[in-house]
Amino acid sequence: MGGYGDIQCIDENGIRLDGRTKDEVRPVHIETGVVPVADGSARMTWGLNDVIAAVYGPMEAHPRKIQRQDRAVLDVRYNMAPFSTTDRIRPGFNRRSREISKVTAEALESVVLTELYPRSKIRVEIEIICAEAGTRCAGITAASVALAHAGIPMSDMVVSVASGKVHDIVVCDLNKEEDNYGEADLPMGILPNSGELVFLQMDGDLSPDQFQEAWDYNMEATKVIHAEMVRALRGGDE
Amino acid sequence: MAIPLVPKLLRAHLAALAAEDQRHDGRGRFVGRDTELEINCLPRAEGSAKVRMGDTIVYAGVKFQIMTPYPDRPNQGGLMCSAEVRPVAGRNWEPGPPSPQSIELGRVVDRGIRESGCINTEDLCLIPGEKAWQVILDLFAVSDDGNLFDAFALAGIAALKSAVLPAERFGIGEDQPLDVAKTPVMCSYHKVGGRFVYDADKREELGGDERIHITLGDDDHVHSLQKGLKGIFTAAEFAEIMEQARSRCAELRDLIDEKLEGV
Repeated sequence: MGGYGDIQCIDENGIRLDGRTKDEVRPVHIETGVVPVADGSARMTWGLNDVIAAVYGPMEAHPRKIQRQDRAVLDVRYNMAPFSTTDRIRPGFNRRSREISKVTAEALESVVLTELYPRSKIRVEIEIICAEAGTRCAGITAASVALAHAGIPMSDMVVSVASGKVHDIVVCDLNKEEDNYGEADLPMGILPNSGELVFLQMDGDLSPDQFQEAWDYNMEATKVIHAEMVRALRGGDE
Repeated sequence: MAIPLVPKLLRAHLAALAAEDQRHDGRGRFVGRDTELEINCLPRAEGSAKVRMGDTIVYAGVKFQIMTPYPDRPNQGGLMCSAEVRPVAGRNWEPGPPSPQSIELGRVVDRGIRESGCINTEDLCLIPGEKAWQVILDLFAVSDDGNLFDAFALAGIAALKSAVLPAERFGIGEDQPLDVAKTPVMCSYHKVGGRFVYDADKREELGGDERIHITLGDDDHVHSLQKGLKGIFTAAEFAEIMEQARSRCAELRDLIDEKLEGV
C-alpha cells in the first residue's frame, strides 16, 4: 500500500493489467495429495500464486506444555520459499510470517472440531512456492482443503480472498501490481455455507461505500473458489 | 507413509528380504524409482526445476544478487547453495534452525556442483573488486520419502542449467543464459540388510545402515564423495557401487539434456 500510482493498473475500459474486469477472480486450480507422505495435502494455484499445504496428525502434542486437556492444538506455519518472490527471501521466520501463521491458526481453529482430539496436535504446514499477491488468503484456503483431505472433522472449510482499491476503483481479488500500488486491501476468511467470518484484516483507505463493495466482492468470490475446493476434494475432473 | 514404531522390526524385515535378494517395493538392487524432471516450473525464479522420485518431491530455484567480490578473490563472483528441509516434507522433520542432517544435505550437494567447476566464477565478475554476480541455488523439499540427496542434486544442476542472468532488471545490459559447462550428477547407495542398494526410500533409510553419495561429472570424473551414518564397508563394495554409479549418472545426464532441449 502506498498509493504511488506510478503504474496504470486499470485502463479506461475498466480492464486490469492481467485482463480481468473489476469483479473477476484470478484463475484458481486446486489439487489434493501433492505431498504423498503427509496425512492430507493440497496445492492451490491462484493467478501466479503457487501454494502447498500439508497436514500431519492428529498426533501426540509435544512438548507437553503445549497440550490442552480439552482439545487439540493447531500448529500452523506459513512460510515463503526463498525463490518465491522477485528478490530472494532469506530462509527462516520473520515477523510477517509469524503474524500470518498466528491469524491462520486462529481462523482454522474456529472451524476444526478440536475438542474431538484432546491433548493432541495437528500440524498444518503452508509453503508459498511462488508468490503473486494474496498469499495469506491462498494459504488459508489451501490449508482448509488439506485438512479436509486429511479427514479432520470441521464445521466448514474457510475460503479466504482479498479485494481492495486501486486508483479509487474497488476491485475483486487483488493482483501483484494492485497490491503494491493500490490504496486498500481487505482480506477476509469466509465460511461458504453460512457466510460467517473467521478471519479479517484490512489496511489502507476505504469509504463506507467502497468498504461495502469490497466486502460484497469477497462474498461473491468465495462462491467461485469454494466450487473449486469441492471439485478438488471430490477427486478432480471425473 | 506409515513409519513402523519399532525400527528393529523394520530392520529385520528388510534384512530377511535382502537375504533373498529382494527389496520391500519389488525393485532390483540397483533400480531407481521412477524419476520425473520438470524444468522452469517456478515463474519467480531465474532458473528452476522440480524432481519427483517415487514419493520424494523437491524443488530447486536459482536467484541472483549483486555482491562485492571477496578481498582474496577480487575477480570472482560467488555460488551459494542452501538446502532446506522444512517440516512440510515429513512428520519427522522439525521446525527450527537447520538440523545437522539438512546441513549435511546442502553441503554435499554444494560440493558436487562447486567442485565440478561447472560454473566459472570469474565469468560472474562485473567490475573487479567491486561488483559481481552471486548465484544462489535454493533446494527445497516438499515431500521426503527418502534419498533427498539425489533429488536435490538432480534438481539443483537442472535449475542452474536453465537459469538466465537477469541483467536487465539490475540495469547492467541484456539478460543472458548462465553458462554451466558441466553436468555433475549424484547417485546414492544405502546399506540395507547387509548390501548396498541404489535410491533407498524412507523405509530403507530407517531400517538401513551407512550410505555413500557419489557425484560424477562429465567423463565420469569424481567430484564429491560422502560416507554418512554408522557402518563399515569394503573396497570391493565401493568398487561395485562406483561401477553402477557411472552408468546411472550417464542416464540422469541424458534426462537433463533431453528436458533442457524442450525448453
